[in-house]
Amino acid sequence: MNNHDFILKIEDLSIAFGGLKAVDSLSFEIKEKEIFGLIGPNGAGKTTVFNCITQFYKPDRGKVFFKNKDGQVEDLVGKRPHEIISKGLVRTFQNIELIRELSVIDNVLVGSHIEFKASLLSQLFRLPKARREERDLRKKAEEVLKYMGLYHIKDQLVAGQPYGILKKIELARTLMLNPKLIILDEPAAGLNDTETIELMEIVKEIRERLNTTILLVEHDMKFVNNLCDRICAISFGKLLAIGSPEEIQANEEVQIAYLGKGDE
Amino acid sequence: MEKRENKLIQVYKSKKPYSDYILFGILLIILPILVDFGLIKYSYLTTIASILIFSIVALGLNLLVGYSGLISLGTAGFMGLGTYLAAYITKDLNLPFEISLLISVLVPMVIGILTGLVSLRIEGYYLAIATLAISEILRKGFVEFEVVTNGFSGKQASYPTLLGFLELGRNGSFIMIVVFLIGIMILTYNLINSYTGRALSTMRGSEAAAQAMGINIFKYRLLAFAVAVAYSALGGVLYMHFVKYTYPNAWTLTLSLNILAVIIIGGIRSIPGTILGAFVVFGVPDLILKRLPIIGDIDGAAYIFNGVLIIIIILFYPLGLIHIRNDLKKIKFKLRKRKESYSEQS
Repeated sequence: MNNHDFILKIEDLSIAFGGLKAVDSLSFEIKEKEIFGLIGPNGAGKTTVFNCITQFYKPDRGKVFFKNKDGQVEDLVGKRPHEIISKGLVRTFQNIELIRELSVIDNVLVGSHIEFKASLLSQLFRLPKARREERDLRKKAEEVLKYMGLYHIKDQLVAGQPYGILKKIELARTLMLNPKLIILDEPAAGLNDTETIELMEIVKEIRERLNTTILLVEHDMKFVNNLCDRICAISFGKLLAIGSPEEIQANEEVQIAYLGKGDE
Repeated sequence: MEKRENKLIQVYKSKKPYSDYILFGILLIILPILVDFGLIKYSYLTTIASILIFSIVALGLNLLVGYSGLISLGTAGFMGLGTYLAAYITKDLNLPFEISLLISVLVPMVIGILTGLVSLRIEGYYLAIATLAISEILRKGFVEFEVVTNGFSGKQASYPTLLGFLELGRNGSFIMIVVFLIGIMILTYNLINSYTGRALSTMRGSEAAAQAMGINIFKYRLLAFAVAVAYSALGGVLYMHFVKYTYPNAWTLTLSLNILAVIIIGGIRSIPGTILGAFVVFGVPDLILKRLPIIGDIDGAAYIFNGVLIIIIILFYPLGLIHIRNDLKKIKFKLRKRKESYSEQS
């Protein structure tokens, strides 16, 4: 396999909280344009892996190689959390992290924060540069909202929107920068069946349209099996198996981790 | 109903309020003329001028508390520093007003940024106490550093002279305060509606989201402190050149708390709310309460008034008095609806 085939490669990742090894020597790699699922029972360390990739946590050991926007491979470990997005890696959160007091479109615009370049002075006096920048990016945000079917509520506040809509807004926020890799933390949690199916279509379409790779954590196995090209199953921070949805379903260790051992 | 409420929010957010601000400014500028005609008492004008000055200071604090989610109880200290610097530079050093303005805002701003550094390590109550400590250190400085500050007896200044020849009188200074206030209102509006404003809001709402979206928390916290302190110091400079007298005990915790009360009573994250709050907190006691029979004789009626008001407002308008206008709109809407349904029936 070509060394540059991957977009994200995790090597020997470990992090412990006190005595608890949340992630233990985990390695896997994600190919470009893949939809990759990370599954595991509750407390398996899935979100911790995400936090280690996006540098919200500093891993004790291991490397997180990422092929950035310029096609160069670099290790993300040691970078500050706010530097990660500029490499082309955006994430969503398990408990939606939107700003309730801002309108839907303003929330989406936060997603392109790093594209704004106008100086403070220019913003204070609304000089042409700041105005132009704001107008252009607002237009882009409107396009993203149209694409997600949220355009009609763009000026409404986020507070009070239904859960399914909030999930969509958060997803829209990740699209503002045409990222190389989108990390979704339980995107289908709390959605009903119709919304889940709709989300599945949206995720697939995003991959095609934006040429992006998607890494997701999800509990809804139907969702994962139908959507993901490959799945990585972990339990207690350790790798159980990597493979296609069929392979994972048939894997004995995965079954034991989820359902426990059969009667002796 | 939900949709209609949202529509209301949409309507008053979409239009730029510059013209409202400027109209407000013009109305204020008429006041000194009314005073000259004897229609308003002179003392009212002084009270209103200080309300406007405290509005500027409170706008800065609103940016810090309302948008960035930080807290400061050091407002009075920085405002005091502004007054002393302005007095020292114009009176003792005999430098022009413009230079004094620049230095008297920049120096506190640098100290404000240093305070911001503290905010990176501590939050909430601890930050409040740390900023209070900085304010008290400054106030102690006003007392002890007698060569510059004249100690307990305080310091005097005069009305400003613009560009070296334009000597402003009382009315001129009042107009200058109005111009500064309107300018600050417009700049603040621009700032909170720019990407910086969104970044500050995101930082308050969710630090995790802010970092994931590439917002440098360090930078924006310092920025918030710098702006808030700059507004405080500007307020101090304007105060010095209107009231013309400063002394250490004017800059105590009470004032900082009053300014915090301004934004809680008036409206957190609202520019008109801040102005309204300043009128309520600094205006009502002086302009109305003191003139009432019996109540006017009670010492500290203002404190009681503010205290009771804060409790009432937190209970009924947790986002501030300014949100009454939404309720008024709703009532109007309901009345119209009712009228329509009546006419349909008949």
